[in-house]
Amino acid sequence: MNRAELIAELERILGPRGVVATPDALLTYDADGCVMDTHEPHVVALPTSAEQVSAIVRLAARAGMPVVPRGAGTGLSGGATPMQGGIVISTARMDKILQVDTANGRVLCQPGVINWELSQYLKPFGYQFAPDPSSQKACTVGGNIANNSGGPHCLKYGITASHVLAVQVVLPDGSIVWTGDGSAHTPGYDLTGVITGSEGTIGFVTAAWLRLTRLPEAVRVVLALFPDIAGASNTVSQVIASGLLPAALEIMDRLAIKAVNDMYKLGLPEAAGAALLIEVDGVEDGLDELLHDITAICWRNGAIDVRPARTMAEQNQVWAARKNAFGAMGRLAPTYYLVDTVVPRTKLPQTMDEVGRISREFRLPIANVFHAGDGNLHPIILFDRRDRSQNQRALEAATSVMKVSIDFGGVISGEHGIGVEKQDYMTLLFTTDDLAAMAGLHQSFDPHDLFNPGKVFPKGRGCGELAALRRSGVAWSALKSS
Amino acid sequence: MNLTLLRADLIAISGEQYVREHPVDRRIYGQTPLLAIAPGSLEEMAQTVARLAAEPMAIVPWGGGTQQTWGRPPARPFVIVETSRLNRILDYTPDDLTISVEAGMTLGALSAALAANGQMLPLDCPLPAQATIGGLLATAMDGPRRLGYGSARDLLIGIRVVEATGRVSKAGGMVVKNVSGFDMMKLYLGSFGTLAIIASANFKLIPQPRAAASILCRAATPAPLWKLVNAIAASQLVSVAVEYLEGVDLAGAPCAVAVRSEGLPAAVERHVRDVTAFARQAGVSAESLRDAAHEQLWNAINDVPQTATLAADELVVRVTCLPADLSNILAAARAAAQRANLPMQGTARALNGVAYLRVRGPAEALREWHAALLKAAPQTMLLAAPLALIAELPAFGTHIANLDLMRRIKQEFDPADLLNPGRFVVDQAG
Repeated sequence: MNRAELIAELERILGPRGVVATPDALLTYDADGCVMDTHEPHVVALPTSAEQVSAIVRLAARAGMPVVPRGAGTGLSGGATPMQGGIVISTARMDKILQVDTANGRVLCQPGVINWELSQYLKPFGYQFAPDPSSQKACTVGGNIANNSGGPHCLKYGITASHVLAVQVVLPDGSIVWTGDGSAHTPGYDLTGVITGSEGTIGFVTAAWLRLTRLPEAVRVVLALFPDIAGASNTVSQVIASGLLPAALEIMDRLAIKAVNDMYKLGLPEAAGAALLIEVDGVEDGLDELLHDITAICWRNGAIDVRPARTMAEQNQVWAARKNAFGAMGRLAPTYYLVDTVVPRTKLPQTMDEVGRISREFRLPIANVFHAGDGNLHPIILFDRRDRSQNQRALEAATSVMKVSIDFGGVISGEHGIGVEKQDYMTLLFTTDDLAAMAGLHQSFDPHDLFNPGKVFPKGRGCGELAALRRSGVAWSALKSS
Repeated sequence: MNLTLLRADLIAISGEQYVREHPVDRRIYGQTPLLAIAPGSLEEMAQTVARLAAEPMAIVPWGGGTQQTWGRPPARPFVIVETSRLNRILDYTPDDLTISVEAGMTLGALSAALAANGQMLPLDCPLPAQATIGGLLATAMDGPRRLGYGSARDLLIGIRVVEATGRVSKAGGMVVKNVSGFDMMKLYLGSFGTLAIIASANFKLIPQPRAAASILCRAATPAPLWKLVNAIAASQLVSVAVEYLEGVDLAGAPCAVAVRSEGLPAAVERHVRDVTAFARQAGVSAESLRDAAHEQLWNAINDVPQTATLAADELVVRVTCLPADLSNILAAARAAAQRANLPMQGTARALNGVAYLRVRGPAEALREWHAALLKAAPQTMLLAAPLALIAELPAFGTHIANLDLMRRIKQEFDPADLLNPGRFVVDQAG
């Protein structure tokens, strides 16, 4: 099938408005938020229904072309980048909230619904969709599901996987299936659970039943300022260890404070080496007591100021500064590389020391804005992409952050995913046998590697090859030679 | 097959005292295993499985043995691989609020170790002194507190398994947020040991609450209690558990709702006040329980669905449905039990749509009740049944989707069908 035939077939399925094929337009689909690797798709399809996605998938199989799913393209690991070309299927036109079912605590929506818009929509019902990535004003719930995304409120409410009740997926053979209806314990293997976070490599999510979370009765936000990041990190460790469970614990360091100060007029003293954003929520009763105890821990760890955000407007301003901090980085450097790793929570202070050392070693400034309560760090390496030496040093610094995180007992991604960005670092964390088990799962869904190929698994380690290895037997030996 | 040779090889791996021949205390639905092996380490377990795979010999993983009646009986002669000697804490830094434990540790032992540090793994199960972590994960057993803290699905952050070939693989890690690689934890959780044997598991922990209390609301009929349940659901109270009880002695009434609140002292008091007021509005009594009485109530509720000690004429099921359908399904179960003249006991996670029911009586009456229940609740799973009925009743209900895909997964992970053959959904005629 040549390109013209492919486009004609797609137009037959989708209508002319559902197909993007002009060279200029295709360029905008050559990457997501991870711009280290780029590759243009052959064509972009914009379906409106699961049936259309199914037809595209069947067509792709006939054409021998990969299918790459794309939501808003805010991902940071290259998950939506068509590394081998093929058909990018955008969920931009699958953006309907279909049913709010408060009696069963669930909402049905299409994958292209924007995370923020879903929660805004649910507010009048008294509910929210709890996962709230920093990119929530742009990112889609389909992307959240694909990456099992996090966000500041994961600390209390859990990751996306805990909020996906069932999904409708198009499988690589083109079939359309539901993994459940939102009830607990669907008989058999937990297909919802394995599809969530599989980065679009085993199924294309075309609808989902998501969990509704009741809006809390009361919310309090305070911003605690510290002379250095150690004071803030130690506070976080102690708050967690003391059994107080805030809704969010977020840290910004000196560089980040400077960037958001300029943009959001927070008037934070630039002498502050770190700002710790603390949110508590729940019923009104007891909330002040909780905040009092947390504030006491801040003071004990050398806080220089603790500022309550008293009004809703003040709270929104603080949160806007936190969630848009990445955008504010543009004020500090032409390019940044946002690294996402996780360490056990007690290792946070030491890890931050190491990040400081890495910044000095590679002579690049690193800002930090991160989900401290979860041990999920986000060093933001600032550099100029036009400078080849800086480019190289930024990559090496990122690798060092991953290695340090693993040395402290952590992992290479907490919420951004592996995609292309981190596929070659998977072997730092996993043995061949570990990867082979994951490949086995992949093979049972997508034996021909049609969906988002060349992602997650290390380059050059095909899923088929890994799975074959796993199937081969292992020798046994007499351990207790008696 | 040469059992003598196989036994000798297994003894060489784990030691003579840990390989037992025809152990009658390991019977499953009347079938005695050829052998029961209790490896003492991950390596010994891997070697044991590799040796059994070479035979090839069917394997039934065994934890505390409290849920071996779930699903269907083994389809072939089998040996048991026990996790009882894999019962250690592998990694625990309390301030990280995470732990790694071997699969054979009981939930009771784990809870005690955590309590010493003011922490908890908020999973509930029947008979926690016997039930093991591996067994709870393999069956995806849930408890009343799933409402407040989530189930094992939400708390499991890492896993290590022995695959059907004897290969050892892991996934996840010791951090609370992790998208490094596929979420294999979800695959093994609730898979009945049909894909691999769980050897160890990592969990996210929760600090013990500063205060806790229960409100036990009793009524002669279910209707006012469901009004209460709906009032709680509509409020902004964050209950840790809302459990509906029927025909259970501990409630001291034909029906009851037990509400569990945990958290800051002021929040718990508010909870008690509000739930008591909702109860009054619904026209049911409300008694608040604290300290030992509170603990005893929940221990007793947790034991209601136990399947370790069964009468010969007893049937136990788990119903799952959309939460709003639960009261109607329970009404259908009650009506069918009355028609068949069977006393029914049940405990239900009222806001999660999960119920555990037990009835006792002659086979014909049980058959009739089960058929009626399946009509109302097609996702009804068999947790225990009399020997005479087990072969004929659909163990996983009548609504099973995606069986082909599930069989492809099983085929990929255990092509020789060595692990728990015959016992899971994938073996049910579809």
